[in-house]
Amino acid sequence: MTNPSSTSTVAAAPARRDRLDWKLCLATLAVIALLGVSLFTGVYTLDGHGEGSPDMFWITRVPRTLALVLAGAAMAICGLVMQLLTQNRFVEPTTTGTTEWAGLGLLAVMIFFPTASLLGRMVGAIIAAFIGTTIFFAFLRRVSLRSSLIVPIVGIMLGAVVSSISTFFALQTNMLQQLGIWFAGSFAPILRGQYEVLWIVAIVLVAVFVLADRLTVAGLGEEIATNVGLNYNRMMLIGTSLVAVATGVVTVVVGNLPFLGLIVPNIVSMFRGDNLRSNLPWVFLLGIATVTLCDIVSRTIIMPFEVPVSLILGVLGSIAFVLLLLRKRRYG
Amino acid sequence: MRTPRLRLLGLVSAIAASLTLAACSTGAADTDATSAAGAEGTITVEDNNGTQTVEMPAQSIVALDNRTFETLQSWGVELAAAPLDLMPETIDYKSDESIVNIGNHREPNLEAIAAVEPDLVIMGQRFTDYEDEIAELVPDATIINLEPREGEDFAEELKRQTTVLGELFGKQDEASALNDEFDAAYDRVAEATPADATVMAVNTSGGQIGYLAPHVGRTLGVVFDWFNFTPALVVEGASDDHEGDEVSVEAIAESNPDWILVMDRDAAVAADEEGYQPGADLIAASEALQQVPAVQNDQIVVMPADTYTNEGIQTYTEYLNQLADAFDAAA
Repeated sequence: MTNPSSTSTVAAAPARRDRLDWKLCLATLAVIALLGVSLFTGVYTLDGHGEGSPDMFWITRVPRTLALVLAGAAMAICGLVMQLLTQNRFVEPTTTGTTEWAGLGLLAVMIFFPTASLLGRMVGAIIAAFIGTTIFFAFLRRVSLRSSLIVPIVGIMLGAVVSSISTFFALQTNMLQQLGIWFAGSFAPILRGQYEVLWIVAIVLVAVFVLADRLTVAGLGEEIATNVGLNYNRMMLIGTSLVAVATGVVTVVVGNLPFLGLIVPNIVSMFRGDNLRSNLPWVFLLGIATVTLCDIVSRTIIMPFEVPVSLILGVLGSIAFVLLLLRKRRYG
Repeated sequence: MRTPRLRLLGLVSAIAASLTLAACSTGAADTDATSAAGAEGTITVEDNNGTQTVEMPAQSIVALDNRTFETLQSWGVELAAAPLDLMPETIDYKSDESIVNIGNHREPNLEAIAAVEPDLVIMGQRFTDYEDEIAELVPDATIINLEPREGEDFAEELKRQTTVLGELFGKQDEASALNDEFDAAYDRVAEATPADATVMAVNTSGGQIGYLAPHVGRTLGVVFDWFNFTPALVVEGASDDHEGDEVSVEAIAESNPDWILVMDRDAAVAADEEGYQPGADLIAASEALQQVPAVQNDQIVVMPADTYTNEGIQTYTEYLNQLADAFDAAA
């Protein structure tokens, strides 16, 4: 890659020992406790409705919490993979336009194949997310940017263009309101029978764990990667596909989760350096924790109503984004 | 080459003639399609902005308010331009190709209003924000705004609108008939309303259920005022910004309403799309709501399908009759 201002530093310590340290165990326990809070947060009093009342615990709470785990981990890890592949800390699905492309793909399927099932819509979103991410990566490879700060700005601009195209078509086809509902990421409509497709992202997560070392090497740049015998272009393709699948699925089921992929990997690498394999469990956990915490806030802040979780994430994320920019200026 | 030029000449003179006619407002019958018969000469009516003087019959009428379309259509009023994109299929104007389409309210083609040189513009609802802009574009037209006013009784406002339109188009009898039908439906509901039943109003769109606050929520908030329904869910400080709030099925289940009133937005704008789920089904099929009395006793009343884009007096009359039928059936 051509970007001189950001480099990946692989932590020298062997990864395997790190993964089983006591800090990770503590963090895991903390996340499990948080998920427990999520399970018991809600408007419905679980045991207050007597015999024969619907088992809300299994109908709404468990699906919602599982969705938080899957979507949170997926978006955080997407951010990490994209940051590695581009060697830029500000790159993640919402700052590269990937989410907007997924939305456009979803809309295109809705317009041209109104009978398409959820799966069909998802395929549309994934293909569009793949095209969008590829365009962005190709752009980065061709243009030598002096400042890494320009990269997210270009991505956000690209996303804005794509999203205005979506808005235009939605306006023409009377779907503006639906578009708004999709994009305001929210876990409120997640119920038993509606979230199950999210398990697709579990496959992505496993794939990232398996490919962690190779992705790390690819992150060192084309020359180094080729020198150690890695097919660099194939790795880029695989990475992009994984990101596209995760973003497409999460966008269709949950909606937009802004900045999640930006905040989480940056916080982790701030403390731990950039070894993908040893950071993965941390990114995974912190991704889940962040989105779960934001979701708990979103459903208690104006109880019994909810605000979309994207609102909370957007506020937190933009603060984190600005802090990162300032830090970058000072040390970068 | 002669024919086209002649035709052009003819066209130009026809336009000139109609312009002169419009300018002079002689009121003489001409070959142009006149709007509804009845009212003639100068008519003064009261609207939201005070006394308005209109020369009737108007030669070119633009109607922008969704609440008025069904009434105007039933009186045979011919429109020169209207926001066809905002009309439900149930309105015949929608398929009338002689009407210039202004588009929808989000990106209206206001120039098209000016192009038909209207004498009368019936303003209101989604187009209220454009009133000043339109007034500048068509300085010679009379603009009538009968949008229900803030702080007034909504039922009276609906009837006022009908009455004033009746005066304009010489359809006083028809207007009072519409008002009487509305009053009758209203009284039916008032009588049939079950005591101590709790009621929740929701809207459905894109497969999701939103909460409509009593008193302020779109289209259904008002029925709480009319009939003193007991809201199933009362939220402190619920205000306009809670209109159509995101609500989880948990909150609906917890509040345990006896009746659920539904405004199905998608029925008006997306019913022909595959995968459209009618609002009542969405609620009745929800696993989480099976224990709610409204679902168990089948006490879900959905507003007429075109409500979202046809909120006039006829829609409310139809809805109130449905509501009264449902209350009667449950009693």
